[in-house]
Formats: sequence, C-alpha cells, structure tokens
Amino acid sequence: MMGVRVAEDKCIGCKICIYACPEPNVIKLTDSKKVTIECIKCKSCLLCVSACPKKALTKDEA
Amino acid sequence: MSNRIITPVKEFEDLLPQEYKDLVADGPFFAEKGVDDLGTFKEIMEQHPHCAGCGEALGMRLVLAGLPTPQDTLIIGTPGCSFFGLAQTALNYSNTAFGNQNAVASGLKRMLQIRYPDKHKDVVVMVGDGGIADIGLDYTLHSWFRKEKITTIMLDNEVYGNTGGQESGMSKEGKVLNMAPTGKKFPKIPVFELAKTSGCCYVAKVTIASPKKIGKVIRRAILIAREIGPTYVQLFTPCPTNLKFAPDQTLKVAKEAEKDYYPFEEFISDDAAAYLAKVEQAKGDGKS
Repeated sequence: MMGVRVAEDKCIGCKICIYACPEPNVIKLTDSKKVTIECIKCKSCLLCVSACPKKALTKDEA
Repeated sequence: MSNRIITPVKEFEDLLPQEYKDLVADGPFFAEKGVDDLGTFKEIMEQHPHCAGCGEALGMRLVLAGLPTPQDTLIIGTPGCSFFGLAQTALNYSNTAFGNQNAVASGLKRMLQIRYPDKHKDVVVMVGDGGIADIGLDYTLHSWFRKEKITTIMLDNEVYGNTGGQESGMSKEGKVLNMAPTGKKFPKIPVFELAKTSGCCYVAKVTIASPKKIGKVIRRAILIAREIGPTYVQLFTPCPTNLKFAPDQTLKVAKEAEKDYYPFEEFISDDAAAYLAKVEQAKGDGKS
C-alpha cells in the first residue's frame, strides 16, 4: 500500500498539507500540533508532499 | 435539513455508522467551523471517487468547509465530475437534468422562502463549467436577471472531465484535449464579466491555490444571497487527468494560472457592500 509518511520532528503544524489534500478527513491535526495521515483513505496523489514547506512529508512505498 | 433532523434518536444511536456519529459529535453542524479549522473537525464530505490529485475535489472540500450554516444549506448539482463528490456529502443535495440547475434552484429557493419565512435556507448551485457556461448558460443568466437569491459556484476545470475530455466553453483558447485534437478555436467564455452585468450583487474569481480566500468569498457570497440578490463565485480547479499534468502538480498549475490569467477578482455592488459591512460588524467576525 502506498501512502505518505510524516516526519514528526520536521512538521510545524502549518496545515498547508491539509489545505492541499483533495481527500476529506485524511490529514488531521493532532493535539500536539502535528499532522497525521490516514493512509488507508489516501490516493497517493502526493499534493501534500509537494506543498509541504518543511519537507516533512515523504512518499511511503512500503 | 436542520440540527433537529440531524440529531439521532437515543434508542437508535448505536445502530448508526461511525461516520454519522462523528459528524454529530465533531462536525460543523452544531459548532460553527470554517476553512481555518480544517483538519480539526469531521468534514461533511466523505470518501469520493474523484481521481488522485483532483482540483475539483479539493475545491469542493474547501467550499463545503466554508459554508456558514451547512445544516440549512441545499446544494443543487448537475451531471459532471462535481456530482461524484457532492453525492458523498452530508448535505441536502439535489441533482438536476444537465444545465437546469439554476432553474431548479430558483424554484426551490422560492418554495423554501414560503415554507420557512423566518429562517435562512441557503440554496447553493455548485456545478462545473459545462453546466454553467455551455449547456445551462441560458437558465443561469435568466436566474441572475430575475434576481433570484441563490449562490452559483462554478468549479471551472476547463474541460468536460467525466466524459473523456471534450472542450468546454471555459477551456483556454488553443488548448489541445483528448477530444479536441486541433485545439480550441475561441477564447474562454467571460462568465465572470457576464455575471457582473447580469445582476449579480457579488462576483468573485479565485483558485484552489488560495484556500483562505475561498472561505472568505463563499461566506460573503452566501450571506449576500440571503438578503440582497444573486451571487457568483468562479473557482479554478484544474484537472490533472484531462489537462495532462502529474497529480502532485495541481496546486502549482493553479498558482501559475493565478499569476497568469486567473487573478483573484472581487466585485461587490453598493447595496451588497453596505449589507455585508453591517453583517460583519454585527457578528464581529471577518472570519473565513
């Protein structure tokens, strides 16, 4: 299954990926102001990866 | 629909799917949410069959998050790509014959005004460029001439997406598409300018690369349509499948279009501006 991995140390919680994702309820902001991705609903368009200003998101091919 | 209808009966609450329970507990119905709050609440749109990287799906998601009162909103659609996502929303949604959306919306708005004289029921037309600029142009223009109090939102992906890539009136001049191999022969139909001269009180043009602006213009368009008259929002939502770019480039394409030929524009009539200033001051908002 493809998806996107979040590097929590790099994520600053700016939410730009949330505004970039065409899928609803996939990227969520946690209480610690980091994003989590529900990969089972992700279509791997990688818009979030290209939008992330801190390069905290990477394609996960595992 | 209203919050009373959304609230489940206690005895049957356990039987409802988890998505519904989340919507009641954490959705935008009982607490006002906006585009700024995305990622922290359960959105009214659910998983949809749009292609990966679809600009239209992103546009719809942002528009739906920007609705001021989703429980009192009725969305009218028409065949096209927009239908796939809108059919997966927790909203009252009505699909119409191709191009009839503004005529149907006019009738529903009038009926709702009679049925709920003390309440605002927002009728929002959300359709693609084919439904507004080509097949439904006459109904759309006439609803504006008649000053129907409805909001019309065009999801402009510049192509007929779900039928394989025919040129639409909103395709760019010279654009070569799957079923327009020699390129389009005439420029984009100026629906934005037509709206201004046809009686719309509020007209805005925005792209999916500016999510906060989408929240702001949708809120304004719906509030003005409640009291003053018709409003129109044109949203550029590029299509990776038919405009032939990689799905992760959708926002880049939208940003380039914003710089090139799709700049943010807003027109507001004097009476609408006065009304909006009054509403925004009363609510102390300015929130998207």
